[in-house]
Amino acid sequence: MKKLTFIIVGLFLFLPVGGTQARESVTLTYMASQNWIPEAEMELGAKFEEETGIHIDYQIIPSDQYFNVLQTRLNTGEATDIFGGQSGVTDLIVNYNVEKNAVDLSDQEWVSRMDPLVVAQATVNSKVYGLTLWDVIGTTWVVNYNKTIFEEEGLSVPTTFDEFKSTCESLLDAGIIPIYEPMAAGWHHVLWFPELGPRYEEVTPGLAEMLNTNQATFADNPTMLTVLEQFKDLYDTGCFGDNTLADTYEYLPEALASGEYAMAVANLTNPQTVAEAFPDVSPDTFGFFVMPLADNQNLNINPAGPTKFIYSGSDHIDEARQYFEFLTRPENLQYLIDNNPAMRTLPFEGVSFNLLPSQQEFLDSFPPEKRGTVYQTAVNYVNPQWMDIGQDLVAMLIEDIKPKDVLETIDERRSDTAKTAKDPAWGD
Amino acid sequence: MKNKIYPFYFTFGALILYLLFVVLPGFMGIAYSFTDWNSYSTKVNFVGLDNFRTIFSSEENYLDYIRHTLFFTVNTIILKTLIGLFLAVLLNHGVRRLTHLYRVIIYLPVVLPTIVVGLVFKSILNPRTGLLNEFFRSVGLDSLTRKWLVDPDIAMLSVIGVDTWKGVGYIMVILIAGLQTIPKEYYEAAEIDGASPFGRFRHITLPLLVPALTVVTILNLFYGLRVFDIIYVLTGGGPGYRTDVVFTAVFDEFSKGRYGVGTALSSVLFIFMTVFGFFIVRKLTPAEA
Repeated sequence: MKKLTFIIVGLFLFLPVGGTQARESVTLTYMASQNWIPEAEMELGAKFEEETGIHIDYQIIPSDQYFNVLQTRLNTGEATDIFGGQSGVTDLIVNYNVEKNAVDLSDQEWVSRMDPLVVAQATVNSKVYGLTLWDVIGTTWVVNYNKTIFEEEGLSVPTTFDEFKSTCESLLDAGIIPIYEPMAAGWHHVLWFPELGPRYEEVTPGLAEMLNTNQATFADNPTMLTVLEQFKDLYDTGCFGDNTLADTYEYLPEALASGEYAMAVANLTNPQTVAEAFPDVSPDTFGFFVMPLADNQNLNINPAGPTKFIYSGSDHIDEARQYFEFLTRPENLQYLIDNNPAMRTLPFEGVSFNLLPSQQEFLDSFPPEKRGTVYQTAVNYVNPQWMDIGQDLVAMLIEDIKPKDVLETIDERRSDTAKTAKDPAWGD
Repeated sequence: MKNKIYPFYFTFGALILYLLFVVLPGFMGIAYSFTDWNSYSTKVNFVGLDNFRTIFSSEENYLDYIRHTLFFTVNTIILKTLIGLFLAVLLNHGVRRLTHLYRVIIYLPVVLPTIVVGLVFKSILNPRTGLLNEFFRSVGLDSLTRKWLVDPDIAMLSVIGVDTWKGVGYIMVILIAGLQTIPKEYYEAAEIDGASPFGRFRHITLPLLVPALTVVTILNLFYGLRVFDIIYVLTGGGPGYRTDVVFTAVFDEFSKGRYGVGTALSSVLFIFMTVFGFFIVRKLTPAEA
């Protein structure tokens, strides 16, 4: 009898609790492009569900279709509770219209721990809209050079364009192709130009702002012209080898691993990628320096990357905020770094990076004033024409157009896009 | 009218579908080419001939794209017709053994997806590792090696070459069908009269093959003007803009969200194709007595 009373009382005690739990059981939908959600994040998602009972339904879309799918769903008011998008102020306004479509996250605790440069790219009119969990430091594009080849040839790290060119010439004399530049990819060789944003900004302070307010143009900037002329000079000298127009990005690790080429513009964490593909090559084979066109000595940071937004029309905004809070707990951020080979750093305070000492040392050698934002992110309407700039640059190399024409064409495209997007700086 | 088996209204279903899904969108496309329709704004404004002005302005590359398209079209028409005719005559009259096998082999590239042909040839024509240059090097003909798809002067010719290889089998099959409709007696009579093989070809084969040649030319013309996939896969319009054609530009405009200019470009091509097609059909089809 005692037992029965116990059970009945127990049932009465727990039933209402169980009932509430059933009502609160929420599934958050989260749509992102492929590769944007690492396995480790899904594992954290499972832990989040254990802790809160909130299930996350990850919807992964192939990258070539993602943007269209997302646009359609945003335009029809049927977006998922959380959606992924590329940060960058222009993208936020033009592509995602975050002021209408996303929830203001400025008051969230984790915002103060996120790198301010990264926060700025997820901010529109002083309101923060996105959470960027992306390795923006490890993916910095720098020249990876083969230290062994440099030592054998008695070469040192170039700090000016002239030194860089003479380094290339010495390598050519020694029968080594200086730089692997896969132009067939269409996008890689473009890096040499907008990634030098910090240098343009150093020579002409406030240039990005002037470009964004339509008070300056690319064509009128002598530093940009110099960069293009020097890039062509390298091509004409043979620094990229004979086959550069047909070279593909996929071959880059092998090109560096084989020692056939001495340098390549690659991610800071590229040595680990090379070592994974070619285990007999130590990641320490490679050193780093910044692209020294126009005598650049600044570190080019791209603080934009795949970012998470909460859809303003979602029924589960609080639960989505809870998920962001959970992900940004220091131990969970560290879990992401430690369990994901493609994510060796995260733009947050209080996490330790999974970098080689040489990589950390390289980063530490740039004080804050020697770091800056790349122009595809700092300047509006540049990123969307990336592939066009690629074609322009090749047209310049084969002498169909002049370096100045490349800059003028970029200005025209920017102006077209700005007018189409009804940017007030371009008037009507 | 009385000998018709079915009444006219039986066609209504098909006709409505055709009007709705083919004719109407076609006209809508032309209408949109006079607007600033784009992906950034939900409003569509009438802009008159602005998009056409952009296309024909000397500052833009569009005129070059039109020139490239015509160059591609003319050359592929000539090459495919000549080679197709040669192979058809060879397999119809010359070769006596295994003709079906040869026909199948020559026709095979036609059924391969363009993307596969593109990827295979991209690898074959790679200047450093490609099969073609490797072959030249291995037989000591180093001077013949070229940067097939990336040398600005020959990239378009390489694309034309690959496209001809892929498309010639189709042309050959149509011409073989045409050749088989020519009665053998004509050749026998001409032979008895002492006509040379070339004379027989010139005075019997060619005139009687005109209907097939007309079909082939029109097919090649429309294919050439609309070419996109083979160029997109092989060169992506490069190096620079040397192999960009009208439809790679249309694709580009659409992916940039400039739908207005994109539809204007395809409207220009549509008008061009209609006018050209009309005249070619009239010129090549003998007036029916």
